[in-house]
Amino acid sequence: MKTRIKELRARYDMTQEDLARKVGARRETIVFLEKGKYNPSLKLAYDVAKALNSTIEEVFIFE
Amino acid sequence: MLNETKAGQKIVIIMGIGITALVVGTFAYYMLANSSIDLFEILSIPIILIIILTSTYIILDRYKNIKKGLPAQDERLKLAGYRAGYMGFIGAIWSAVGYNMLNIILFDQEPRGGLVVAAVVLISGIVFMLSYFYFSRKGE
Repeated sequence: MKTRIKELRARYDMTQEDLARKVGARRETIVFLEKGKYNPSLKLAYDVAKALNSTIEEVFIFE
Repeated sequence: MLNETKAGQKIVIIMGIGITALVVGTFAYYMLANSSIDLFEILSIPIILIIILTSTYIILDRYKNIKKGLPAQDERLKLAGYRAGYMGFIGAIWSAVGYNMLNIILFDQEPRGGLVVAAVVLISGIVFMLSYFYFSRKGE
C-alpha cells in the first residue's frame, strides 16, 4: 500500500506530530503509515484523510 | 474505555510506577530477609533488572507522549499488545512442555512443580516483552 500522506502533509504545512495530534495517534504510527508499513483501521484512515482535507482513496493507494 | 481518556492514561502510568515499586520493594525485602544468597537468587537479579528497565522505558515513553498531547497508546500499539499476548501464551505452553522434557532428557527426572511454574511465568513474560518491543517497532 502506498500513501500520499507526506505530500499532503507538506501541502498543509503540517508536521507528523501535528497530524498525529489531530487523528489521536502516536507519531510513530504516522511514520509507519507514510512508509506504507502499517494498514490502518477504517476509522484511522478516515481520520487521516479528513485531517488532510482529502478522501481515503486520495490518501491511500492500494495496489 | 478507561485507558483511552487522558485521566485514564495517567492512572495507568501511576499504576505502572506503583507496581514497579512493589516489585523492587518485595525483591529487596526478600533479599534482605535471607541470611545467605544462593544461585537461584543471584539469577533472579537480571530478571528483576529486565522488568524494571522495561517498565521504566514504557512508562517514560507514555509520559513523553502525554506531555506532547499525543495518546500514550493508539490502535497500532494495542494491536502490538494483542500479538505479544498471543506470543506470550504460545511461549507459556511451550515452556511448560519444553522445561519438563529437557529435565527428563538431561537429568532423567521430572522437575518440581514450583520450578515449572517459575519457568512458565519467566519465559512467557520475557517472550511477551520481546514480542511487544518487536511488534511496536516493526509497523505491521
